[in-house]
Amino acid sequence: MSKDEIFNKIADIIADRFEVDRDKITLDLNFKTDLDADSIDFVEFILELEDTFGAEISDDAAENLNTVGEAVDYIASNSAKK
Amino acid sequence: MKIAVDAMGGDYAPKEVVAGIELARDRYPEIEFDLYGQTDKVKPFLNNADHINLVQADEVIAMEDEPVRAIRRKKQSSIVLGAQAVRDGKDDAFFSAGNTGALLAAGLLIIGRIKGIDRPGLTTTLPVLNKPDQDQFLMLDVGANADSKPFNLYQYAILGKYYAQTVMGVKNPRIGLLNNGTEADKGDMVHKAVHEVLATAKDLNFIGNVESRELLNGVADVVVTDGFTGNAVLKNTEGTALSMLKLIKSSIMAGGISGKLGAAMLKPVFKDIQSKMDYSKYGGAVLLGVKAPVIKTHGSAKAETIANTIGQIQTMLKNHSVDNVVDYFDAHSEEMAQAKADMQK
Repeated sequence: MSKDEIFNKIADIIADRFEVDRDKITLDLNFKTDLDADSIDFVEFILELEDTFGAEISDDAAENLNTVGEAVDYIASNSAKK
Repeated sequence: MKIAVDAMGGDYAPKEVVAGIELARDRYPEIEFDLYGQTDKVKPFLNNADHINLVQADEVIAMEDEPVRAIRRKKQSSIVLGAQAVRDGKDDAFFSAGNTGALLAAGLLIIGRIKGIDRPGLTTTLPVLNKPDQDQFLMLDVGANADSKPFNLYQYAILGKYYAQTVMGVKNPRIGLLNNGTEADKGDMVHKAVHEVLATAKDLNFIGNVESRELLNGVADVVVTDGFTGNAVLKNTEGTALSMLKLIKSSIMAGGISGKLGAAMLKPVFKDIQSKMDYSKYGGAVLLGVKAPVIKTHGSAKAETIANTIGQIQTMLKNHSVDNVVDYFDAHSEEMAQAKADMQK
């Protein structure tokens, strides 16, 4: 899956889950500061990413994912290993 | 209606779970059951598969597994697959006697919160012992959250009110705040703040602070508390009752022939007390505030308790207890946002 495809899927999930305008989602969007989300929303989101991409995101990695761009890179490199 | 069942959860699983579900199937012919578990272990205990569908789940979440890690790593477990089926609308409610933390995590993270709910609360029904017109009351949170904010307790009051109305059939539930005294200014900062909010809330029949020693006397229909205190009070209530029974028994045994004769004559009285104290007949603990009924019964539950708990779920589904809460929070979303902002000041 290309980075563009990964980005599009993640953007769909964010738009749906956090009720954000799909067009306003960029690689720079920060999950922790730009979304009206609490810690439970964030864990739900990580779980949905794992289910969608079949990738395992460790607790440490999840801690360090702040932006959409970082999530795209993480998933792209993890899928590449498979 | 269709209920997802964790066939692998509990001290006597899958045998007693299957027996309990068969009992419930015979009582409630309108219910279909999806039993999630290792089918080769579950099937031998199933006598009659009417209305019961076995679904293979390769993994099992053990009682000692760390909850959030378990639901993230054991994706083929009965708890995760059952919760996913409820999330996807294949089943209407989820029942387990297994790992409480994992069930709560699955309810919270897989089935998800009702929009507008900050923290779901774990709710239990307890007996009222000395009041002719009331035989039970509800307490929440009894341990879903160890750290609670005033806004969470305010929402527990609303969740408890709807549960008492739709499942216990109490028209205008009396809501009490568990505190260390009945006066309005009692308690720590959190409880003082909650008292202030509940006292002015329009839709709630708030009766003020209540003390733990009055709970079993029916001082309220819904007792609101933070998860840390609620869990401690629940365990203390259970423990005190058991210790009292042991004390009575050992005194009788030490009381010689007259003590034993007296006890024999009082046997029906002891039976009656035992039946009143048996809170398993009221069903299991419910995670309120998630999008579908999620119910946990004791790990040591046997078939009869499991069937009773299914009865409780049937009442929740029949009376649309979750829909009522969804409608309320939908209609009051602005009020909730305002209340949350006010309480965080």
